[in-house]
Amino acid sequence: MLTLPLIALSPLVLAGAALPLALRPGRRPGRLPALAEGAALASLALAVLGVGQLVLSGPHTLWLAGSAIVRLDAVSATLALLVSFLGWVVLRYSRRYLDGETREGWFGCLTLLAIAAVLVLVQAASLPVMVAAFAITGGLLRQLLLFYPDRPAAQRAAAKFTRSWVAGDLALALATVLVWHGLGTTRIADLAQVPALDGAGHLAVALLVLAAALKTAAFPLHGWLTEVMEAPTPVSALLHAGIINAGGVLLITLSGLVQHSAGAMAALVVLGGFTALFGALVMLTQSAVKTALAWSTIAQMGFMLLQCGLGLWALALLHIVAHSLYKAHAFLSSGGAVREVNAVRKPGAVAIPGVGAVARSFALALALYVVVAAGFTVLVGAKSPQALALGTMLIFGVSYLIAQGLADAAPGALTRRTVGASLAAALAYFSFQVLAQIVWGPMLPPAPTAGALEWALIVLAVLSFGLVAFAQALFPLWAHHPSTAGLRVHLANGLYLNALLDRMIGGFRMSPNS
Amino acid sequence: MFLKHSQIAPALASRLLTAAEAAARAIPPAFPLEATVAVNPFLGQAAMDLAQASARLARVGGVGLTRPRADLAAQVQAGAISDDDLAEALIACASPLKPADLAMLKARMQGAAPTPKALPTVAELAAQASGTDWPVLIERSFGLWAAGHFDRGQALWTPRPGMGAFAAWREWAIHDLTPEIAGLDGFCAHVAQAPDTADRAIVRAADRLGLTEAAAEGVFHRLLVDLGGWPMHARWLLWQAELRGTTDTTLTDLLAIRLIWDEALLAHCPAIRSDWQATVAAHAAPVLPSPDQVLDSILQEAAERAHQRQLAARLTGPAPRAGRARLQAAFCIDVRSEILRRALEGQDGGIETLGFAGFFGLPVAHRPTGTDEAQAHLPALLVPAMSSTSHQEPAQEAATRINARARRAWGRFRQAAVSSFAFVEAAGPAYGGKLIRDALGLGAGPAAPQPMPRLDPGLTAAQKAQTAAAILRAMSLTTGHARLVLLIGHGAQVTNNPHESAYHCGACCGQTGEVSARLLAALLNDPQTRTGLAALGLALPADTLFVAGLHDTVTDTVLLYRDQPSPDHAADLNQAQRWLAAAGQQARAERARLLPSARANTLARRASDWAEVRPEWGLAGCGAFIAAPRTVTAGRDLQGRAFLHSYDWTQDTGFATLELILTAPVIVASWISLQYFGSTVAPEVFGGGNKLIHNVVGGIGVVEGNGGRLRPGLPWQSVHDGTRPMHEALRLSVLIEAPLDPITDILRRHAQVRQLVDNGWLHLLALKNGQIAARYRAGLTWDQAGTPMPSAA
Repeated sequence: MLTLPLIALSPLVLAGAALPLALRPGRRPGRLPALAEGAALASLALAVLGVGQLVLSGPHTLWLAGSAIVRLDAVSATLALLVSFLGWVVLRYSRRYLDGETREGWFGCLTLLAIAAVLVLVQAASLPVMVAAFAITGGLLRQLLLFYPDRPAAQRAAAKFTRSWVAGDLALALATVLVWHGLGTTRIADLAQVPALDGAGHLAVALLVLAAALKTAAFPLHGWLTEVMEAPTPVSALLHAGIINAGGVLLITLSGLVQHSAGAMAALVVLGGFTALFGALVMLTQSAVKTALAWSTIAQMGFMLLQCGLGLWALALLHIVAHSLYKAHAFLSSGGAVREVNAVRKPGAVAIPGVGAVARSFALALALYVVVAAGFTVLVGAKSPQALALGTMLIFGVSYLIAQGLADAAPGALTRRTVGASLAAALAYFSFQVLAQIVWGPMLPPAPTAGALEWALIVLAVLSFGLVAFAQALFPLWAHHPSTAGLRVHLANGLYLNALLDRMIGGFRMSPNS
Repeated sequence: MFLKHSQIAPALASRLLTAAEAAARAIPPAFPLEATVAVNPFLGQAAMDLAQASARLARVGGVGLTRPRADLAAQVQAGAISDDDLAEALIACASPLKPADLAMLKARMQGAAPTPKALPTVAELAAQASGTDWPVLIERSFGLWAAGHFDRGQALWTPRPGMGAFAAWREWAIHDLTPEIAGLDGFCAHVAQAPDTADRAIVRAADRLGLTEAAAEGVFHRLLVDLGGWPMHARWLLWQAELRGTTDTTLTDLLAIRLIWDEALLAHCPAIRSDWQATVAAHAAPVLPSPDQVLDSILQEAAERAHQRQLAARLTGPAPRAGRARLQAAFCIDVRSEILRRALEGQDGGIETLGFAGFFGLPVAHRPTGTDEAQAHLPALLVPAMSSTSHQEPAQEAATRINARARRAWGRFRQAAVSSFAFVEAAGPAYGGKLIRDALGLGAGPAAPQPMPRLDPGLTAAQKAQTAAAILRAMSLTTGHARLVLLIGHGAQVTNNPHESAYHCGACCGQTGEVSARLLAALLNDPQTRTGLAALGLALPADTLFVAGLHDTVTDTVLLYRDQPSPDHAADLNQAQRWLAAAGQQARAERARLLPSARANTLARRASDWAEVRPEWGLAGCGAFIAAPRTVTAGRDLQGRAFLHSYDWTQDTGFATLELILTAPVIVASWISLQYFGSTVAPEVFGGGNKLIHNVVGGIGVVEGNGGRLRPGLPWQSVHDGTRPMHEALRLSVLIEAPLDPITDILRRHAQVRQLVDNGWLHLLALKNGQIAARYRAGLTWDQAGTPMPSAA
């Protein structure tokens, strides 16, 4: 039996390529950037082979001196494939983008190591390995954020990031100690089998949730993520598409443990749902493309935490994958914003749907949902209330697409196009969800049976998403009303949480360099 | 006393507002990135010479306007700048502060130049005193507001439209709690109680800040520079308004906003009052260049003379040519055309090229297919006098728009609050494919030709002939037409680059030259035009065909638009294509030597690489403008550093074309050269910053990283290859083959042009028989062969 998961080798390959770059950290280090991309491709190939290995011979764990180091299962293989793929895209991009920078070699070195650290993180077989990978990832990312060390804004951003990240690391380390003390094991495969939690166990799960919230930039400590575009664009791509997922990965990896704590799950629903809506509303007001994308990430990570809290683990993982691919592309192509923004204006004014059109669009979207959901139920079986609730929230979003086509001023051809797109969107995500359930469902716990608390939260979540969706569809009717001007200012400032944090940690003080 | 202290005398108030207006006009316009063109960053300082402008901008911006002294001294050491260059520059300098002789100049040149430092703002003094970083806080808070206010479609939720900047900011600032959280207690109330118009706010703040009349303009200019590119964007709004015959107060609104901040900070931090008074006194002192600034401007001039000397060595007299050309190709005067023109002429002795501004003399506002918005396709100095369109048949046009609107609806679905989650779950996985496509550069390709543009409304037969005749005369293309005449505009195919339009044609206002070239080709092929031209005494050969083309300056390929079927010219066109292909290959080889990590055969890849920050060098290196027959410059390697305008004064009756050249293309070229100059010597104020951390704002510009300061001008990567600057900062040398008297006459009539040459913002040299024969001196006089010559006026 083969006991070496091939993906376990990728961090070594990447670190190997980082070494010569560390020795030539300056400008235009010869063929080394090409070597870095080659290493990333090799790592991607190993990930593909690893998936094959998983399919052929099932899960593996790599043991070293009696300790479980890395594991191979459907979750780790998916994430390793995702991270290697994004790593390749980012390194290929950096090869041209960073050309001629004073610390070009050093950038390549740090990027390779950061990808390697994230690869270890997603494959970690035990909590101590995970803790170490988290700490190393944070340290490397800090160096990347300080790529222009003389920029005071970069120093501020790095300081804020470090505080949040290290706080998360501490929470995770403490949770690890508690778990080891209470359960006698820190091996992830064992933790998935734990039947119930004692008091210390509940505390450990609370700490895990705290760590995940800090690392996914959840409300109210989201401030660091909105400032980190001080580093070159590929760092933003790596951060928003790779590293930011780590908190979610933590929860999904330990889902067996987390789901035993109804309180933790409820906290995730409330925190995640609120962060999602909060981030999405702030995003609407941001006029700088990367800043808007950062707020979008906060929102999407909140949504992912919400999915975790509902016990829809496979869907949370799907969200991580889908969001990473989208966000990496969005950051790397953000230079096209000038062209895009101005293209939007070209076809003339946007047709504004009235209240009637919006109501019709909601009805249409819900009808669409009933048909599609019924179809999928017939095909693949009944869904949990949580999954149905999530589907409802998503369909509220689709209604916005329909509403734009139902506006009185919209021509029939446009209506047909938007309804068609809505149908395609609905079918696409239901299909992806079925697929996610097939691939990852078997190794993740099913959504918990909904009790009173769960139902209350489900209703709360559906109602608040519905309300915001309705407001969003009617948006042009109220967004420019004088009475909402103040609200817009407060939201554009992210409800001042970042400013308050700045005040607490001295972020408004003069930088020593200035 | 029944007057309250704050009610200052109306006469003083009006003088303060005059100072505010003057400070506003000291700011250069910055065009939005959608269609950006180079602007002279020293537009507001044209009435000063370089040393004095340097003194002014040192005081208000903390920058110097000359190349670093050490670099210039090194060039002297290396012999690139000769003693003659230094001596001539020294003699030409009119300042009493200049070194007494060459020896002293060379001795002082070795000393270190002092670093310019701007006079502090109240915010800076308050920051020093309190430890709170007020300048950064203002930058962030103001930047967040300004990004929303000037947003052209990035955010879905923009502020209420239709409000002036000052009123809009007040509405923002009375709600924004950030300043108070940072410790500026009562700022919202301060704003709420501020006067309700910008004018009154400026006057009140000036009073409370203790500004004297003499200091006001300097302080105002300082504060506008402090706001970075936003005032330059506002200056552009004013520029556009004035072109339309209206006005715009955004710029003084921004000044009022910035003053309200300092007003509050001075009240918040009374300890800095005496420092601030000293600063005001320093602003009141007249702006005089220091001996160092004079010295540096002499060295700068010497570097320009060295460049002229090298140019003179190449310009040895015209190379005559005879017979009907086998092919004529008119290119834009853009310096990037020079390489391709030289390469094309090298393919065959019968090929003749011409240079003319890339809008080809048609001042159009163009409406492309799919929109009713008109884009200017002419130099930014001019107002469109014609309109054109590429709209298709109604059914096709409607389909195009439905497509665009459906795409927009999908885009809003992606951006809006709740639907963004559905978007990610449904469409996110598809981005894996997009990542592969873009990482491998498979998605991008040359822009497809637009549907054929046409003038709309069209011209009458008489107008067609008159327009065509005027353009042909301006191009000095009235005789000797070849069977095939190409009209080649230019544009750059780049991917994922916010500064895309800066690579396009400056004479077409940041668009490509496609529309202009195709319109002119169609006009000149029109039988009505031909008949009318003959009647005007400008008959074109019946077998002459005009064909438009577009030179892609990244790949050096030329796309020919075969809009007019002409089977008779099939062979000519095929031959032209072959020549252009061969010339392109040669041009790529030449350009690849200067681009980092480039080989001739990989240049095309740069066009479609989404990570490419240096697709090409744009107009970096530009240093000279030559208006002369091509025979004067043909066959000389001008290294892609010269604007080449075809001009034959012997055909120019009344010197109308000369007047046109001096007042339009020369100005545009000098603006371009000065934009490169400013972005190179003072990148903190006039440069676009680091592309690697650019964050596009509102679809109009970029900020760096998380910052709030708009960064107009050229990014660092556009003028620097990582190891060395790719643009040698030189003021433009304009060389014109024409008699001196008509040039002098034209300068006398055009005060703006005269100001530029009199104050040394460009050098004017006259050519005779293809060689430099005279140099313009201030005051409508010329130096000929070393001796000052009074102009025969």
